[in-house]
Amino acid sequence: MTTPTRPSLDDPSLAIPVEHAGIFDPIPVARTERQREFYALKDGELLLNIGPQHPSTHGVLRMIVKINGEQVVDLDPVLGYLHRGVEKLCENADYHQVISQVDPLEYISSLFTEWGAVLSFEKLLDVEVPRRAEYIRVLSAELNRVASHMLYLGWMALDLGGITPILWSFAERDEITEILGALTGQKLLFNYFRIGGVNGDLNHEFMSRLGDWMSRVGAQLEAGMGLLNENEIFVRRARGIGVIDRETALRMCVSGPNLRASGVPFDIRRAHPYSVYPELDFDIPTRQEGDSLARYLLRMDEVKQSLRIIDQCLHRMPDGPVSAKLPRLLRPRPGRAFSAVEAPRGLYSTYVVSDGTDQPFRMRIHDPSFVHLQLVPLLMPGNLIPDTMVIVAGLDPIMGGVDK
Amino acid sequence: MSMVPGLGLLKGMALTLRRFFQPAVTIKYPEVDPDIAVKNRGRLQLLYDEHGTLKCETCFQCAQACPIECIDMGGTDTKGRYAVHWGAAETYGERREESALRRAGREVPDAPSTRFDPVNLDAVDAILEDHDHDPHRMLSILEATQAEFGHLPVAALKHISHRTGAWYAMIYGTASYYRHLRFERTVEEVAVCRCTACLMAGGGRVAQAIGASLGTELGRPTPDGRIRFTWCPTHLPGAPAPLVTVDGEPQPEVTVANAATWAQALAGEHPATRTVH
Amino acid sequence: MTAVTGYWNRLSVPSKVLLVAIPTLVVLGAVATVALAILVPPLVDFLAANEDLVRFLLAATIIIVITIPTAFVIIYLELKVIARMNLRVGPDRVGPWGTAQSLAHGFKFLSKEDFTPRGVDVPIFTLAPVAVFLATIMGLLVIPFAPGLVAQDLNIALLYFFAMGGLSVVGLMMAGWASFNKYSLIGALRAAAQAISYEIPLTLSVVGVVILAGTMSLNTIVEQQAGSFLDWNVWKQPLGLLIFFIAATAEANRTPLDMTEADQEIVAGFATEYSGMRYGFFFFAEYVNVFVISALTVVLFFGGWNAPFDWPFPVQVTLDPASLGIGLLFLVAVVPVLGTILLALPFWLLSSRISTLQALAIGFVLFNLLAVGALLGWAFISFDWVVGLLWMMLKSYVFVFVFVQMRATFPRVRVDQLMGFAWKWLLPAALLNIFVTAIAVSLVANG
Repeated sequence: MTTPTRPSLDDPSLAIPVEHAGIFDPIPVARTERQREFYALKDGELLLNIGPQHPSTHGVLRMIVKINGEQVVDLDPVLGYLHRGVEKLCENADYHQVISQVDPLEYISSLFTEWGAVLSFEKLLDVEVPRRAEYIRVLSAELNRVASHMLYLGWMALDLGGITPILWSFAERDEITEILGALTGQKLLFNYFRIGGVNGDLNHEFMSRLGDWMSRVGAQLEAGMGLLNENEIFVRRARGIGVIDRETALRMCVSGPNLRASGVPFDIRRAHPYSVYPELDFDIPTRQEGDSLARYLLRMDEVKQSLRIIDQCLHRMPDGPVSAKLPRLLRPRPGRAFSAVEAPRGLYSTYVVSDGTDQPFRMRIHDPSFVHLQLVPLLMPGNLIPDTMVIVAGLDPIMGGVDK
Repeated sequence: MSMVPGLGLLKGMALTLRRFFQPAVTIKYPEVDPDIAVKNRGRLQLLYDEHGTLKCETCFQCAQACPIECIDMGGTDTKGRYAVHWGAAETYGERREESALRRAGREVPDAPSTRFDPVNLDAVDAILEDHDHDPHRMLSILEATQAEFGHLPVAALKHISHRTGAWYAMIYGTASYYRHLRFERTVEEVAVCRCTACLMAGGGRVAQAIGASLGTELGRPTPDGRIRFTWCPTHLPGAPAPLVTVDGEPQPEVTVANAATWAQALAGEHPATRTVH
Repeated sequence: MTAVTGYWNRLSVPSKVLLVAIPTLVVLGAVATVALAILVPPLVDFLAANEDLVRFLLAATIIIVITIPTAFVIIYLELKVIARMNLRVGPDRVGPWGTAQSLAHGFKFLSKEDFTPRGVDVPIFTLAPVAVFLATIMGLLVIPFAPGLVAQDLNIALLYFFAMGGLSVVGLMMAGWASFNKYSLIGALRAAAQAISYEIPLTLSVVGVVILAGTMSLNTIVEQQAGSFLDWNVWKQPLGLLIFFIAATAEANRTPLDMTEADQEIVAGFATEYSGMRYGFFFFAEYVNVFVISALTVVLFFGGWNAPFDWPFPVQVTLDPASLGIGLLFLVAVVPVLGTILLALPFWLLSSRISTLQALAIGFVLFNLLAVGALLGWAFISFDWVVGLLWMMLKSYVFVFVFVQMRATFPRVRVDQLMGFAWKWLLPAALLNIFVTAIAVSLVANG
């Protein structure tokens, strides 16, 4: 019995066909027009791979940049390293089980992904959600928004080289996740919303932690996050970088804070209201410049608005049940439903097709981070390598949502 | 941006200097217990009621609701007839054998329901006394227990857990980490070759004699389970006939005449003093 | 014999160690004393004959040996200080309050696989860390730590120092080029660009100090700042200090001007392909560089080893151990034992949890601390170089703290902004500084 031979590393028939553009630079064969344009290197250009394993890409994002010296000529983001087949998994899950499946899509702000799914299901099933449940949903979701923006602020600073603000913002975020943990039982992937309401009522521990935090948070934010607002180095790195003007933003379907930083005051909570947002009083902050600094400052403003909403929810909380009565096995009528929520990153929408069985036929999820990453090749050319990080971090992508 | 260039930098330095003197927000686990919410769903545990009975009734609701089908449970129905399991057993590697056994109609080992045999715990008490009931010396306690019994019986481990206060899972983990500790008796395999040459040289009578001495027959283990009596898969090259092997090593001194006494001597040896392979 | 074996078996391990170690040590001590008594006098005569060479070799050895503990201390300081500024705790587990963390880092680097990737230019790849480390050590040779404690008192010390700073850039470029890696190449080129841009303001900013002092010898510059803190150069050259500090931050590759090793963009820059002790060399060199630059700042602008006010010491307290005669033997043999026992007694008596061995260990440690403290105190009040060294170290570590705080606080400056800042702002400011200093000096000299 002969032992099978191991394929040799030098066997030419096994090699992936490459074209050698230089001595040390194998480039894969271009298969599309865009790839052909991208891989054609002029004199002095270099392909650099800011790869999926990197201290600074927001998750597993791979970017192939074509650089000339320090200047980026072109950029090709390669997505899909975190693809888990969530939409397919949802097809094999009950309507109740789908909620835990969509949680890890935008893992930092998972209540919004749950909200999207739950809203579409409630439209299919014609379920009336009790008012107390709606208020609790808004309360916990706005807390999640604050936590998400805290993460963004710290991460943006970290990508620029400042190692301190991220730890301060994580200290803030830790408090919020503890509060949400007292309410939902988990600290990251909450699995709290249910079709027709939420999982459990407000409890004493949650209320005491929340009250304690609300009394401190205003001053804490002012004291701590002001480190970067006035820091000349930070401002000079972020101002004027990655300017998205109004037309480009609207054409590329940008949404959320990135759109509002470019001067378009569009917020789903006001444009296509859902839940009890019409009854709540809050402003929509907008900035005109459209650069990374505007996006950063805008999210700080949004945090203040979210705190206003939380305050109003606490004051106006009605009594009542927190969940509608639903059968264990749900079989909605065949049909389609669409819902859109204002996630911290933008427009998060869920489109459900039901065929009458207890599992959805198709769930299509539109995630804002995926759309925003399409902007990066448009914004990069002409900037330098360090600006790559500023722009990508400024758009606040979460790779879980990008790759689903 | 302020009017004076550099003022923002200085304000930043002042802020970090102020933070330098503030206490850290780190919770120094495990010396300090984190303040975990009552509603925390992180630890998966079955609950007991105030009388100490397990509340779980194996109603399968949690297993059915689980989105990733990670809950597996089994039990017998109320009349003790059927072993019920949830989950696609075929898909999990460690359940494959069980599934095949079940489909073949043979008996399926059910580890949680298997009673463990009692052992003489005085020896274990003496060992624990020697080691001052100190769970930090678990390795030497386990080695002494193995020297006493030949392996680590479950009853002894439970007793050790009971007396030292260490969790059974911890003791199990410690024992399974080391290669020289084992949970089952060493089963010695005595094999007789049944090739034509050995049979012509008296292999059949050797097998009968050994079987009679051990109290078993070819292909079955001894009643106390310490020796497995089987046949060699093939005649080892260069070995004399009739071939008798112990754990694969040929024993040339065994002949038809002394097979019975040899087997008796083998069966009478204390398992701990036999060499282990 | 069996009684002996039985006794031996019943002893615990520490007792076994002591039972073997103490007689061995006594015998070795006796042998060593005799050997030293025979061998030392001719050795001393030989050394006295070549005093300068001996002095230089000793100084160089001490400097090389001192760099590693200095790097360890600064690494620990950085970890702890940045952690405290981040509202964290920092290293806490390894050693008391995490002090052995740097040692653990050192061992970690030593134990890592030290590979050479395929395609690298092996001689350059191997020599690059050596070049960087060498540059730092050679810079240390001219820093005066105390009156009389300068390894080599060159009269072009400042020029030599900046030349060595340039040598470290050569090392970085060697590392980046030889690594056969695009990230390293980018890091190396950034290092070169940054070093070139900031070298000129760096050298020009201290020209003011040189004009005031009239010499480039660092020892002389420090001696001229003697007196109180009002005599320090910082009052005469504030702009020079500012430019020097910023340019030195760039030369040391520290945040906010650390484009060369920008973690978040090009992984580890020039050091991407280095692992194990070679990587350790680069980063030890960086931390020693931080210390060297702090020391230089103190020497040039803050008075070096001078105390901020008139120091009434030294008071000469001469100790002559040889005059004790046989009493010396008594001192060496009995006092440590007695001291250990006396200091261990309170612990042993007052707490039943502490075993005898533990109490003796605590007593021994405390006795050592007391003895070292007493010795240091005597040295402090008797020798002026001890005083000077202490002040120099204190002031240098204040600036090390400032460097570490800057790393905690600031994000990174972008590469083109970095170079623009050097050429458009620091260079003209340095020239302005020289201009003003020269005019001021000539006005003062002429009445």
